[in-house]
Amino acid sequence: MHIQVDHLSKQFGSFTSVDNLSFSVKAGEVYGFLGQNGAGKSTTIRMILSLIKPTQGKIKLFGKSIQDDREYILSRTGAMVEKPDLYKYLNAIDNMKIFSKYGGLSLSRDEILNQLAVVGLESRALDKVKKYSQGMKQRLGIAIAMVNNPDLIILDEPTNGLDPQGITDIRNLILMLSRDKKKTVVVSSHLLSEVEQIADSMLIINKGKKIVEGRVNDLLNPGKVQLEIDTLNNEEAKLILSSSTWGSSLKSDLSEKLIVEVDRATIQDLTKYLVDHGVGLVGIKSVNSLEAYFLSLTSEHAV
Amino acid sequence: MQYSRITYIELYKIFRNPRTYIAFSVVALVVGLIQLGFYTDGETYLEFGLRSLTDTFDLHGKILNGYLMAYIILQTLLVNLPLLVSLVAGDMISGEAGIGTLRLILTKPVSRNTLVMAKFTAASIYTLVLLLWMAFWSLGISVLIFGADDMLILKSDMITQILSSDVLWRYVAAFGFAIIAMLTVASLSFFLSVFAENSIGPIMTSMSIIIVFTIINTLDLPIFNHIKPYLFTSHMLGWKGFFDIRVNENNEQIIGSIENLPGVLTSAGILILHILGFLWASIAVFKRKDILS
Repeated sequence: MHIQVDHLSKQFGSFTSVDNLSFSVKAGEVYGFLGQNGAGKSTTIRMILSLIKPTQGKIKLFGKSIQDDREYILSRTGAMVEKPDLYKYLNAIDNMKIFSKYGGLSLSRDEILNQLAVVGLESRALDKVKKYSQGMKQRLGIAIAMVNNPDLIILDEPTNGLDPQGITDIRNLILMLSRDKKKTVVVSSHLLSEVEQIADSMLIINKGKKIVEGRVNDLLNPGKVQLEIDTLNNEEAKLILSSSTWGSSLKSDLSEKLIVEVDRATIQDLTKYLVDHGVGLVGIKSVNSLEAYFLSLTSEHAV
Repeated sequence: MQYSRITYIELYKIFRNPRTYIAFSVVALVVGLIQLGFYTDGETYLEFGLRSLTDTFDLHGKILNGYLMAYIILQTLLVNLPLLVSLVAGDMISGEAGIGTLRLILTKPVSRNTLVMAKFTAASIYTLVLLLWMAFWSLGISVLIFGADDMLILKSDMITQILSSDVLWRYVAAFGFAIIAMLTVASLSFFLSVFAENSIGPIMTSMSIIIVFTIINTLDLPIFNHIKPYLFTSHMLGWKGFFDIRVNENNEQIIGSIENLPGVLTSAGILILHILGFLWASIAVFKRKDILS
């Protein structure tokens, strides 16, 4: 087990940011850490990295306590917490040099260029960071997280503020780190579809509390499908469905959307039922994704 | 080992940051302006100042010389130098918190105590280099431009003449004292920077504290007289003590003497205690600080 968190809590005054949270991350997996903005993801990550002291609870990385063996643990860990802020008046090589020295390493120029090549920045290595786009800064941040060749990489919202191409680049980079470099990667995000595509396991938290933890494949029931049905009058369609045998298929949702969860084999029966009862169908699409799953879970736990 | 490595990194960052050189440019510019002013109009200015004296005494030699210039410049700049010291010392932790690099540093295997010690050492070395720069301009360049001779210091109730052969060591000692005084300012700004997440706050607060304490020092009121000895600003101008000379029973100067050496040493000791106190407090606070920036 690379990370073991037990009954972790953090309070800021009377506000509870993280509430009795427990989870574990196995070696070699990509672990998705999901939650809406303000759910407590960053606070949890900061506690794991000893940037913040927990109010209560225990954190172990590589079998050792972060309170007792902080420097050993951090020598095996690389992290990017929220957006990577670097020394803008220096170039990528100098930034890499500085952070490698903080990690106790003295890398040669060639070694640094090789690491920058992994994140696709070798051609811009001599440019000052102030000239970098947000995506380039994110990639440099990941390179800095990896500078001491860590076993565990923790990335907090690595796709924040990126354009679609940047998001794809980061996703591919994380998959490469996991598959080719055999790293354990923890990725927090509120972009649920992103985590769905890369994570082996996941934890969903809401208001600092754990909602669910497990393998992504186990959590998403492959035999069932969630459908988002768009009709001329969604409220009327909901009433029609709720008064029928399809009522149990209706999923609660924070929005006005009409979402049902049904067996794949019964989709045709459902559409026929709606048409037969005079519902004006505009469209049906599958939303059997982590996003739908997440929304259904968080809405169940919403106060 | 970790301490020296991190101190090197901190120094590298300070001296690669273009903002660092603002202070060096300001010192060179201000000293240059004072020297230019005295080079063009200094004789007239001194004649006016010494008019009452020349009626009584016959003054020979080069009164406007490099040593006198250095004294004038020190009096002017040592009041303003704290701001330039604060620009860097007040930025050491708060500046990194503000741009977000502090959290990145602390995800690396670096002890918090070592980081604070290394950052403080780097800020101290910057202060030392800034004062050496000031010494080079105010003393070195002034002697080059104006030459060297005996030094006259005019005070409200007396005039002191220091032989040219007795001046240089006094400047070395005065700059040594000034380093301690500026390190006190640096340690105050550094301590305040532990609490802040941008460098403006610590710099402004340091300046405000110095201004308030200086005002208290200048007010001759009984209520303030009790606390004056404990204010570090009361001791920051102790460097001037190196230019007060003892006299013998015939009212002749004793070469190489200092009139109130215990007073100067006491002031230096109080400033050093302040430095150690601020450093200790910085370490204690930073060790427990949640990094939320």
